[in-house]
Amino acid sequence: MLELKAKTRETVVAWWMVFPALFVISVIAFFPLFKTFYDGFFEFGLNPNFPRKFVGFRNYVELFIHDPRFIAALKNTIFFTVVSVALETALGLLIAIIVNQPFKFRGAVRAAMLIPWAIPTAISSQMWKWMFNDQSGIITKILERLGVIEPGFPILGSPNTAMWAIIAVDVWKTTPFMALLILAGLQLIPEELYEAARIDGANVWQRFTKITLPMLSSTIAVALIFRTLDALRVFDVVFIMTRGSVNTETLAVYNRVLLMDRAFTGAWFGYGSALSVIIFALISIFAIIYIKSLRLKLD
Amino acid sequence: MKKLLLVILMVALTVFSFAQKRVTITMTAGAVGKELEVLYAQLDRFMKANPDIKVSVMPMPNSSTERHDLYVTYLAAGEKEPTVLMLDVIWPAEFAPYLEDLTNDRAYFELDKFLPGTVKSATVNGRIVAIPWFTDAGLLYYRKDLLEKYGFKNPPKTWDELVKIAKTITAKEKNMYGFVWQGARYEGLVCDFMEYLISFGGDVLDEAGNVVINTPAAVKALQFMVDLIYKENVSPRAVTTYMEEEARRVFQNGQAVFMRNWPYAWSLLNDPKESKVAGKVGVAPLPAGPAGRSAATLGGWMLGINKNATPEEKEAAKKLIKFLTSYDEQLYKAVNAGQNPTREAVYKDAQLKKAAPFMVELYGVFINAEPRPRTAKYSELSDVMQKYIHAALTQQMTAQKAIEEMAKELNKVLGK
Repeated sequence: MLELKAKTRETVVAWWMVFPALFVISVIAFFPLFKTFYDGFFEFGLNPNFPRKFVGFRNYVELFIHDPRFIAALKNTIFFTVVSVALETALGLLIAIIVNQPFKFRGAVRAAMLIPWAIPTAISSQMWKWMFNDQSGIITKILERLGVIEPGFPILGSPNTAMWAIIAVDVWKTTPFMALLILAGLQLIPEELYEAARIDGANVWQRFTKITLPMLSSTIAVALIFRTLDALRVFDVVFIMTRGSVNTETLAVYNRVLLMDRAFTGAWFGYGSALSVIIFALISIFAIIYIKSLRLKLD
Repeated sequence: MKKLLLVILMVALTVFSFAQKRVTITMTAGAVGKELEVLYAQLDRFMKANPDIKVSVMPMPNSSTERHDLYVTYLAAGEKEPTVLMLDVIWPAEFAPYLEDLTNDRAYFELDKFLPGTVKSATVNGRIVAIPWFTDAGLLYYRKDLLEKYGFKNPPKTWDELVKIAKTITAKEKNMYGFVWQGARYEGLVCDFMEYLISFGGDVLDEAGNVVINTPAAVKALQFMVDLIYKENVSPRAVTTYMEEEARRVFQNGQAVFMRNWPYAWSLLNDPKESKVAGKVGVAPLPAGPAGRSAATLGGWMLGINKNATPEEKEAAKKLIKFLTSYDEQLYKAVNAGQNPTREAVYKDAQLKKAAPFMVELYGVFINAEPRPRTAKYSELSDVMQKYIHAALTQQMTAQKAIEEMAKELNKVLGK
């Protein structure tokens, strides 16, 4: 009897101790999330002339059925995400394996590698925008010399090249992040495993596919989730380089139009919230796929 | 002890009342060309004359679209800052609910002495919500020296003539584009498009606010813009990524015969420290189209007061606006930053004639400039137009299809 009482008291104390953390999380994470869900069922604008009106799922129906611009943005976002994350993972893995080998100046190389990741995206995007400039851009000049493009070709102003240019910037920027995460995973693999495999006569490829990759899978899964989450809501790099022109508009860039350009001019705020919910759902779908296919345990 | 308390109280009161007297207001400002430098000099003079007011400047992005985003955030949140807002000529209708009504201050600001067109654009449903600060109109800049060299006595009067001159000169000069303008997908693209559209005999909205863009004239106008790039090869393909400053840099480096731009470019182009074409530049009205007339888009900025500011701040803001839009300060701004006065009398000033002769010579262009469609939904309208014009310019759809789709979507936007 006494013991039970002590236990409940302990539980109460525990709840009190967890409460501040729970409170902060619910204020900064859950409240905005639920508010966005809630707003997605209404039609309203920030201007007092467009009051709140409940519309149920109409915003979602409109988005998927009557809004070709949304569908285009959805396709662009998924294309951007799949291509950039795939490239970043492949390159990140390669780089991680290289810098995991002992060589001279390894520490310096590891540090230098992080520079692109350390530059704020807004700044690196502007920097790359200048490098892609038709008149003075170094990339344009090099590609011209190599005969890949004709003189004066606007890389960021052409539907066939603009998205690839944006992907290139994203890959340049986030590959170091991938490499760093994977490197940490690599260092957790015990050396004995490789020794044992070598004794059993496994070649380099076998050691890579049978030891390195399986041991890395949960690290890669976490890295993939991080990157995919970022890529699905990509905004800055696209907005700065092309503003969503020439078929590079992503969901977040379109959402800016709804929430900013149209904030005072019409009843678009609920519509934009619905779009945010879709981005959220999209991220969840990707996360579930990763967790299931890579058998990641979340605890 | 009591004495000490009393002294502290008195000191506190004095400090407090002193602090009360000094009002701090914030104002947003652009940094296109020499704009910001000039403003700082003006504010120094203002604060010297009004020691009780402190003005702090909030520099804004040069792109009008991004400034708009910032304003939406501030105003929707009910912030009392910025106190004085620099507003694009297309915004008053949209921001009117958040701006102080200045209708009763007509006489205080001497609005009767302003260009009537600029006052009209600051008026929403009969209420004056901002005071015109400087006005803008699209102009044609040309290389006087090159035109002379190849025997052209006058700048082109029609678009066809412009193409002809540009082709002749670029065929012989090395590393030279014919005509640069603003073709990126942003507000400036609508300004450029309106000039072709109207000079070809089209328009976006009629007097009653109906969409009237779907006409052969509009298709021809857009087709002409596309042809400048792909058929006549007069404009570089990269023009579809240019805003004002990109176009200016190309022209300033001596790499283009013609440029469409706003008046601010004049003083920069003639600055020998920065520009390779100083002294070789002429300015003319934009060429006329098949409709037999030329059109310049009306641009310009005005100053409005945030409704959420305190009464003292509003008073200080009014003083500041009156100062900045006074005769002397408008003249100073026009001479030094190349931004056109909104007061009629300044155009007759000898000092202006000397510093920026084109402003005086092209007075007609400035007072006849064409406003962009007037509607509270302008930002939405503009966004749709930008999308389709740019799609045509980058050959993602034909001019015909772009205009048809644009008309459809504009109807949808205005119907909502």
